[in-house]
Amino acid sequence: MELDKCLEKLYAGQLLPEPTLRALCFKLKEKLVKESNVVHVSTPITVVGDIHGQFHDLLEIFHIGGPVPDTNYLFLGDYVDRGLYSVETITLLIVLKLRYPNRIHLIRGNHESRQITQSYGFYTECLNKYGGSSRVWQYFTDLFDYLVLCCIIDNEIFCVHGGLSPNVQTIDQIRIIDRIREIPHDGAMADLVWSDPEDDVTNREDVTSVSSHFQVSPRGAGYTFGRNVVDKFLQLNGMSKIYRAHQLCNEGFQIYFDGLVTTVWSAPNYCYRCGNKASILEVYSKDEFYFNVFEEAPENKLLNNSAMSNGNFINNFFNDGMVDVFSDEYQAASATSRHVDYFL
Amino acid sequence: MDRQRGARHGINTIQINRAREIHAQTVRSRIPQPTAASSTLHSHDCAPTVPRYRSNNPNNPPCAHCGTVIIPAPKATFPFEDTPSITVDDWTITTRKKPILNSQELDQWGEQLSGLTLPEMIFGNSYVQIKNEKHDLCIQFNALDALKAVKMEDSGIRVSYAHKWIKSKREQQKTSELHDSSLKIAQHYDWTYTTKYKGTHAGPEFIRDDSTELPLDKLAKPDPILFYDDMVLFEDELADNGISLLNVKVRVMHERLLILSRFFLRVDGVLFRVFDTRVYVDFHENKVIREYKEHEGEYNAILAKHKMVHSHDPKAVLRDSNWVAQQLPLVKRECEVLELNKDSEPKCEENP
Repeated sequence: MELDKCLEKLYAGQLLPEPTLRALCFKLKEKLVKESNVVHVSTPITVVGDIHGQFHDLLEIFHIGGPVPDTNYLFLGDYVDRGLYSVETITLLIVLKLRYPNRIHLIRGNHESRQITQSYGFYTECLNKYGGSSRVWQYFTDLFDYLVLCCIIDNEIFCVHGGLSPNVQTIDQIRIIDRIREIPHDGAMADLVWSDPEDDVTNREDVTSVSSHFQVSPRGAGYTFGRNVVDKFLQLNGMSKIYRAHQLCNEGFQIYFDGLVTTVWSAPNYCYRCGNKASILEVYSKDEFYFNVFEEAPENKLLNNSAMSNGNFINNFFNDGMVDVFSDEYQAASATSRHVDYFL
Repeated sequence: MDRQRGARHGINTIQINRAREIHAQTVRSRIPQPTAASSTLHSHDCAPTVPRYRSNNPNNPPCAHCGTVIIPAPKATFPFEDTPSITVDDWTITTRKKPILNSQELDQWGEQLSGLTLPEMIFGNSYVQIKNEKHDLCIQFNALDALKAVKMEDSGIRVSYAHKWIKSKREQQKTSELHDSSLKIAQHYDWTYTTKYKGTHAGPEFIRDDSTELPLDKLAKPDPILFYDDMVLFEDELADNGISLLNVKVRVMHERLLILSRFFLRVDGVLFRVFDTRVYVDFHENKVIREYKEHEGEYNAILAKHKMVHSHDPKAVLRDSNWVAQQLPLVKRECEVLELNKDSEPKCEENP
């Protein structure tokens, strides 16, 4: 199938047939295998954080940020799991990457992994949408192994899904990672997609002791990194800041260490119930950037209701443009159509 | 050609008509409609009766026939605050659902709960509350008090691969410049956010009586639900090692109400926990029962139970706290009772 034809279908919210997906994943693997672990890109570029299968919000991002290929995009990972449309989301991104390889860049997130997707919904979604077969999930997860680990914008800004690792002092140490594999539990590759900055406000007095090192999380695995770690890394590599995703923030973005580290979050009303805002970060140069903050796409609100009412209600809404959404009937109908549970 | 030129001058009449329609629609919708309109949504055999309860929520008009407010209306946007509420006899049940805390609120909470790295999602402005004005009794379920009950000590639980992880780090340390201290866990708190929260309670005290049982026969009856809500108070994905979730549900029927506050924990490859607090109120007897149950079990044992039933997607069901709770062994159960006299002085004053 032609890529443009695929795009047309995907933008209309349709799924692609299984053989097409297989071919697409295969083709993209061929392209990605040639890429280095670290990809260099230049401004202007729009940085997008976690999407988590919120397909309508992804379309919203293309609305507010400009369509591909008119705008350059850098996605920081976590395309699948949790949301209801992981398959649509990742398929669209794959096709866009194939069609416009220099306009869109996809970094690997911790959810682009076999183990995680089995627990957090993507695996189940693939089974449901492709007739109970896990082959589609295999195509996708095999492809995930090829995604790059980080991007550098204008040789100035380091972009990664999670954060820094004690095993990575220089960018060259990332370049030598053998990335084409499942995300391991430890080592540099794991830390790049998992670790979080630790902004320890309460312990300001002994700041050196707290944040000069990487700290082990109380879970017994994984790191948090403090300001000194960031300073050291940036200085050593001649860079000015880090953009990352991985953590939910109510305002859509969060700034750490006076702007040295920025979290970008792009899934509004996360899991369809957090009520948070989301943002995409438009970068024009290392000092010129703009957080384009947005809220949940209107389709999501409707989908929220329709998920509980077998979709009939929503179809009525689309078929007959005269439904008065302010009316008591509408409100009451959507209220009663919601799930009420005789829990014990 | 003529038509084309015509279109270029001024606005197309179709567009004008459409605009008028939209305007009219908006205006119409602002005029309050008689609530009888909503009766089309319920079917009623009986004539309207005057119920003994009333809905306290102006944004959510009850059905004219039965007064049913099944669920709060779609969340109102600010500046309105949508706090759905219903009153039955002396009891007032209120819920509030708000978005997760913003960064400013998070900072404040961080100070209040110092030492605790806060869960990823905190619905700190949401709550479920029941109140009895006459007896000054108030039971509320909220995230702040639930998190205060999280222990500030090492839980002893580690993720499934922690042992391997630390070991491989030790190996590395011999050859690298990393400080030894960096392998110690710096901050101790229960990262699973396990909470034995039973609700925030003010007023007459409960009396411990483990022999009391919830009247399941009554609760299992499909009585009409007058008011229902379901909300998450906090949730954390434990950095994708499972889930820690505190959820509260409430349903109010004509004669009784039930609140279920459930803490659900899954640490992948390690364990499950389901800690349930149920608050039952019988409006007739003015009796409150609070039951607290702890369930806990090993991850693999539960997974094995499921494999016997289905096999193609074994992990899907592990997200379903109901299923998991049924499989888990009961570790602990406590029950408390509070009887409020309907007319005389509250009984609890007799107790010290």
